[in-house]
Amino acid sequence: MSSVAKGSRKKRFKLPEETSVVVALIVLIGIIGALRPTFLKPTNLLNLGASYAITALLAGCIVFLLSMGEIDLSFGWILNLSAVLAGLAMIAGVPIWISVMLGIGAGTIMGALNGLLTVVMRLPLIIITLGTASVFQGISLISNKSGSVVPTDEKITGHLFFRALGGDIDSPVPIILIIVIVAFFILHLTLHKTRFGYRILAIGSNPEAARLAGIPTKKIKIQVCALMGAVSGVGGVLFLGFRGAVDPSTGGQLLLPVVAAAIIGGTPLSGGAGTVWGSLYGAMIVGAIGVGVVFIGINAVWGTLVTGLVILFAIGVDQIVRVRKKRVS
Amino acid sequence: MIKKYSRRLRVFALAAVLIITGSSLTACSSEEAAKEDITIGFVVHVIGNPFIQQIIDGAEMAAADLGVTIKVVGPAGAEGDAQLTAVQNMAASGVDGIATSVPSASMVNGLNEIIESGMPIVQFNGLGVGVNAPYVGEKSVASGRILGDMVLEKIGGPSAQGKVIVGNCFPGFPVLENRQKGVLESLAKAAGVKIVGPSDVKVDAAANFAAWQGLLAANADALAMVGLCAPDVESIGKVNKAANNTKAIGGGYDLTTGNLEALANGTAHISLGQTPFIQGYLPVYMLVDSIRNKIAINKPGFVDAGTEIVTATSVTEPFGLPALTFADLQAMALSKEKTRAYYEPVVSGYIKDWQSNLKPISEESS
Repeated sequence: MSSVAKGSRKKRFKLPEETSVVVALIVLIGIIGALRPTFLKPTNLLNLGASYAITALLAGCIVFLLSMGEIDLSFGWILNLSAVLAGLAMIAGVPIWISVMLGIGAGTIMGALNGLLTVVMRLPLIIITLGTASVFQGISLISNKSGSVVPTDEKITGHLFFRALGGDIDSPVPIILIIVIVAFFILHLTLHKTRFGYRILAIGSNPEAARLAGIPTKKIKIQVCALMGAVSGVGGVLFLGFRGAVDPSTGGQLLLPVVAAAIIGGTPLSGGAGTVWGSLYGAMIVGAIGVGVVFIGINAVWGTLVTGLVILFAIGVDQIVRVRKKRVS
Repeated sequence: MIKKYSRRLRVFALAAVLIITGSSLTACSSEEAAKEDITIGFVVHVIGNPFIQQIIDGAEMAAADLGVTIKVVGPAGAEGDAQLTAVQNMAASGVDGIATSVPSASMVNGLNEIIESGMPIVQFNGLGVGVNAPYVGEKSVASGRILGDMVLEKIGGPSAQGKVIVGNCFPGFPVLENRQKGVLESLAKAAGVKIVGPSDVKVDAAANFAAWQGLLAANADALAMVGLCAPDVESIGKVNKAANNTKAIGGGYDLTTGNLEALANGTAHISLGQTPFIQGYLPVYMLVDSIRNKIAINKPGFVDAGTEIVTATSVTEPFGLPALTFADLQAMALSKEKTRAYYEPVVSGYIKDWQSNLKPISEESS
């Protein structure tokens, strides 16, 4: 046997797909920490992580949609309406855990509705959710009479749910952060270790081939949309517990950072691939940029510019890779 | 091959971004190094809004007068959670005090936690009910009543008959809901006035104009259009100008250059100012004074920032400030120096004596 053949059999060490994002994150944190050492205090980093936990959670789930070649514009308002419904139920006297399940269930239904509409109307999800985002926002405004939902009753605010998420229970790591990390494990395993996940990637890679291979593409689309709705619902009830209130504007500004986190993390807009952990690191990069801007004390306008540059670069790289792939195929 | 190429590209892109970010951060940090005495964080609810910029200008003038450093941040779009995160980041960065608007109830618990940790906070422009910190702003319901009364007077008083369109750019925003309450209370004095709305007329200038255009098209016989936010008066003016036949009275809030232009050319008629200079200057002054003289400010209270009433023919300023012509007001909107000079009596009087002007928080919505 020749040495060339021996060499080809040697298993090459392969760095994980997310390595470049992790390195970028470490360098970014290093730059901010070097300029403002207080940034690196563990309690500070954990608290900041908790603040960006819901953004990260949504980014982890939108990877499923992006991997399928779809994008949802309504998840911020699903989060809002889920939280509003859960909060109103709590205020109305419904037991806390049932209210929480109600919020998550409502999110799942809204997500499934998005999926159903996109399948029935044969339109891309982005177009459907352009409409449903306003519908969900509108229902939320009607439900809370365009005001904030603030559970103030001691029986509610003293419940384990609010005390745990609100930080009243001593924990070395914020509980919201623990929940989100667990959710990331589940999402990662779902996308990369289950038949459901493989089917999502197959649909994103080539929808027609997936259909011809016997994959029920319509059913999978509805299921993924329902999953996005469920995770948004989880985000909504986590928000309610974490902040203790929901405002009419809550969730409205999540679209950009969530999608940016997923793309920066290495999930291409073109579908067929995706990394759940990458989106977590992407969310941390988006968060670190925002935090860095404040720590260093630069005008917010600069922060917007830097975030925009990061997104442009990431999208640009994605586009280049897509064009190359097409040429090769 | 493709994977390798893809990874190289991504590494290259991220490296480029890091260089840009790092150099931006480093460049901007050097200018902050000079002042290390007291640093005040100033967090607004939206960046890029002319009215908010006037508040920021006031805050920066206070910092310059008092010889302290000021850091200004805020989310690009008004969203409470993003703003609370900015306040938390500000606190973690080691500032000595924070002034923030509080547009959302979901910020209240988080702000109280920061206050409990010993950080002095002053609220401005948007009041968070339950925040253990003083608030600087207008009497929101009372200012709504003033606007409603003035509009009513212009459309014929209590005997007026017809439609009045009311627009709210941000339904649910507490201060706007209070203004709306005041406006509707005043308009209710005329039994023949039918209110159209309140409609969501959006914050974004283009969407705001489109909303008012649509509302007037659907209600061409409206007697008046009343907005509650900064972009409204300018939009109403443009809509009135475009619809040649309308005689609708236009009223709203804030003295941005666009709003003043609409008043000057007669396409809008009333605009109430919230003295953005005072809303920016006073919180910074209060924070610095409380830090230097160890004055506890960890409880609710209200300092009235005053209401300015402006029409094309008259300018009524609060706190006994000297009379202004409309031209003076337009000139001040364009010049920070003129604004600072004009408010000198307020700075050396009302603002300096802020402790004696601190009232119970209930007065804000009285």
